[in-house]
Amino acid sequence: MELMNNVKIKSKNLNVYYGEKQALFDVNLDLNEKEVTALIGPSGCGKSTFIRCINRMNDVIDICKVSGNIEIDGVEINDKNLDVVSLRERVGMVFQKPNPFPKSIYDNISYGPKIHGKGETKSELDEIVENSLKKAALWEEVKDRLDEPGTGLSGGQQQRLCIARAISVNPEVILMDEPCSALDPIATAKIEELIDELKKTYTIVIVTHSMAQAVRVSQKTGFFHLGKLIEVGKTEKIFKNPDNKMTQDYITGRFG
Amino acid sequence: MTKEQRLKKRHNAEKRFRFYGLASIFFALLFVLILVHNIFSKGSSAFMKTAINVEVFYDKDLLELEPGVSEEEILEADFFDITIESLLKVYPAKNMDEEDALIELFTTDAEIEIKKAFLKNKNLIGKKINLEITASDDIDQLHKGNYPRDLPEDRRRISNFQLEIYDALVENKTINKNFNNYFFKNGDSRDPEIAGIGGALVGSFYSILICLLLAFPVAVLASIYLEEFAPKNKITDFIEININNLAAVPSIVYGLLALQILLATIQLPRSTPLVAGITLALMTLPRIIIPCRASLKAVPPSIREGALAVGASKFQSVFHHVVPLALPGTLSGTIIGLAQALGETAPLILIGMVAFVVDIPSTPIDPSSSLPVQVYLWSESAERGFVEKTSATIMMLLSFLIVMNFLAVYLRQKFEKRWN
Repeated sequence: MELMNNVKIKSKNLNVYYGEKQALFDVNLDLNEKEVTALIGPSGCGKSTFIRCINRMNDVIDICKVSGNIEIDGVEINDKNLDVVSLRERVGMVFQKPNPFPKSIYDNISYGPKIHGKGETKSELDEIVENSLKKAALWEEVKDRLDEPGTGLSGGQQQRLCIARAISVNPEVILMDEPCSALDPIATAKIEELIDELKKTYTIVIVTHSMAQAVRVSQKTGFFHLGKLIEVGKTEKIFKNPDNKMTQDYITGRFG
Repeated sequence: MTKEQRLKKRHNAEKRFRFYGLASIFFALLFVLILVHNIFSKGSSAFMKTAINVEVFYDKDLLELEPGVSEEEILEADFFDITIESLLKVYPAKNMDEEDALIELFTTDAEIEIKKAFLKNKNLIGKKINLEITASDDIDQLHKGNYPRDLPEDRRRISNFQLEIYDALVENKTINKNFNNYFFKNGDSRDPEIAGIGGALVGSFYSILICLLLAFPVAVLASIYLEEFAPKNKITDFIEININNLAAVPSIVYGLLALQILLATIQLPRSTPLVAGITLALMTLPRIIIPCRASLKAVPPSIREGALAVGASKFQSVFHHVVPLALPGTLSGTIIGLAQALGETAPLILIGMVAFVVDIPSTPIDPSSSLPVQVYLWSESAERGFVEKTSATIMMLLSFLIVMNFLAVYLRQKFEKRWN
């Protein structure tokens, strides 16, 4: 049996409520370091809610209450006293719809490092921008127009710009919430290649509706249904020989 | 009904609707045109004033001034005699009554005009100079064709003898129309020919400036707090409802409030731009907060999330990303709010700006008028000359409003274009 990487993120009895409505029920899920974990499941099953707990993005929603534990490297992050700014510096996020800032490509990337005090000088910032764009496989396409607005790029380029923006603060984890759902197949292929490359450096969690994508990019897959983690395991196993009947039904397209 | 009939009915309904729409636009434009035409035809003549060319002799003996006289001495000196002497030379008058009638053709400020010409050039002692002395209101209106000279003599203010003089002046071209600098320079006056909107302009400027300085920062910060930071609960809902209600409160109520609190309790000086500015700021606050919040709300949440996700604090995400994007809408909302404040009359009447103020205010705590109140004041005056002045003031007010509204549209378009 192939050796599994170390556990990076560990959730224990995680419950999430939106007002009266409970969105997650006792989720226990381990995510491994330098590996891609895909979360699949029908719409509204709580997979996005789950990854938004990892960088405490749910704090933004007033009515959202989170109970239970999430640990990163053994440190509890679901803690009121935790500084979310430094957490989000370690846990980057890419959203469903590309959301570059309406600023230049350069400013999009340099914003994160600037607010975290990385890259004191212009040349350091230049280097961070270049490296981030290179890692996001966007450098060749935009190196001559860094001062043009990021919103002027194509959808796929915008999404890679957002990935570069997430990388720019040198996080440990990157959360991706259906990063390809707004993109065409060619742009999707590029992002998937990129994810494959990025997993050498980062721990990646990706929410996806495309089971083919989960198979292509992930090593581990978790299946959510109605707020519960139904089954989790190696991607190969989940798609070839799931233990649970419901997982079987979902991946074969009988519901969802 | 057959299919064809139904189709025809549908087309007809569409045509009817188009017709109604066009008719409404036509009517709206018609009324605007009537208004604008009315104001322009009445008001445009106010930008010109009638003046009579008079040869003024700065007689050494009558003036009792020596060459090299100081400015203070000139200001105190009596120019009345040489004024009368000069004016009487315009036309031969046979007796005292006729002399009085002749003097009446000129503005009561004729002496001041003659003194001012002397102040400009102190070497005029013992010399003659031709000056354009402003004509009285009646002659001004007569020359502009607004005076009914066909009325019987006992029903007009201009006597037959005065008409005779006027005709003679027209004949030898000593009566002219010049640009009316008094209209912009002078304060209010009982005499229409020397009355101007200078005081009202300065008063309005100070009022709007104070209104802007108070209302803008408060409104913007209040909107940002309510929209971005405030918890969504019953208290903020209550505040929101009340802000909307306040925007609909009749402006005169703010006048009453200012009268009680600013004038009676705090005892700020009445009739001043300071009080006007504070009152207008109170009135404008909700009117700026509403568009300001709307433009903050219009910034997509994805921008906030994007900033938060790279580790920006709430404060940074708001001030680095949301506020700059909302700025064009905020600015244009502010300008439109100020434009409304500029045209506001009722609250200013209550805080005493309706007082008759001749002097042009030099600070915001001097008594002053304002443009809309000046319109109100002059519209009540009986003199013929104030009719055109009222319309001309409305023209000035309207042009300021149009400029401000264009500025609002321009700012919005300019800054929104940049990223799209």
